[in-house]
Amino acid sequence: MRLFIFLCTILGGYAFAHPVIYKNGWVYQGNFMPQMNQMNITYTFDPRWSFGLNSHRFDGADEYQDVTLGFNTLLKRWLQHDSQGNIYLGAHYGQYEDNFDKGDVSHAFLMADWEDREDYIMFRTKKFFYDGKETQDYLARYGFAPFVAGMDELQAWAILQVYYYEEQNREALITPMLRFFYKNVLWEMGSTTKGASFLTLMVHY
Amino acid sequence: MRSLFLALMLLPSFAFAEKVVVDVPGMVCQMCVQGMKKNFKSAVNNPDKDVIVDLEKKTVTVNLKEKISDKEIKKRVADAGYNAEKIAWVEVDNKKEKSE
Repeated sequence: MRLFIFLCTILGGYAFAHPVIYKNGWVYQGNFMPQMNQMNITYTFDPRWSFGLNSHRFDGADEYQDVTLGFNTLLKRWLQHDSQGNIYLGAHYGQYEDNFDKGDVSHAFLMADWEDREDYIMFRTKKFFYDGKETQDYLARYGFAPFVAGMDELQAWAILQVYYYEEQNREALITPMLRFFYKNVLWEMGSTTKGASFLTLMVHY
Repeated sequence: MRSLFLALMLLPSFAFAEKVVVDVPGMVCQMCVQGMKKNFKSAVNNPDKDVIVDLEKKTVTVNLKEKISDKEIKKRVADAGYNAEKIAWVEVDNKKEKSE
């Protein structure tokens, strides 16, 4: 369980794709840290539904790894002329294995975001079911674009993320990061205030 | 018969490309651009050139291979995750387009 708490802590520093994009859209995502990798493939088969395959691998002492499958849905989208807001819901189930044990792992999340071309706000809460226990985390983001980009131009964001995991000694993890989006490729890089740096790559088709 | 033949001969010089401008509110990022290109891909020759998303004006301009219905355009925009508010057809002379 202690390892899982650690995983949640560092995963909280990670970026992630929109759970649902456009019909027939694929997202390939990789998160890389010195001792951990996460891969994610999501296919949006309907403008409101997607199917995802996720995998985590941790090269630490317990050599934890898991694979989960699940569905995500876009519950509601508000479209204004210059902005949009979204609410997403998702549920994933799978198996984990480490040097000592193996079993079921699952999670469900609720996510809301709002953005225009200059500002971005996001909130997500996730409930984990692992090793016979339930835990929950909370993640909030605010980002701003230093300049407004047009079609197929490089778009840059400066983002501040706050992550709170309820079993992590009541301490929030703060992560400043930079996001770049060029055509169908998105990448994020940053470092938590605890010094854990990360790189995320996403490709959309 | 002669007039029919003449009409057929003259037809290519009056051929028009099908260009449509669609108002799509809420488009804010590159993901919207990718969604539009993907969902109009089969209706154009080259999605990178023929699907133009203006994130400032919130319009999608599509140079279509052949005309499709407004209903079809609304469906493709909806599949990209958005709503088509206004659809305006623009007649473009093929020859003029090519010479430009």
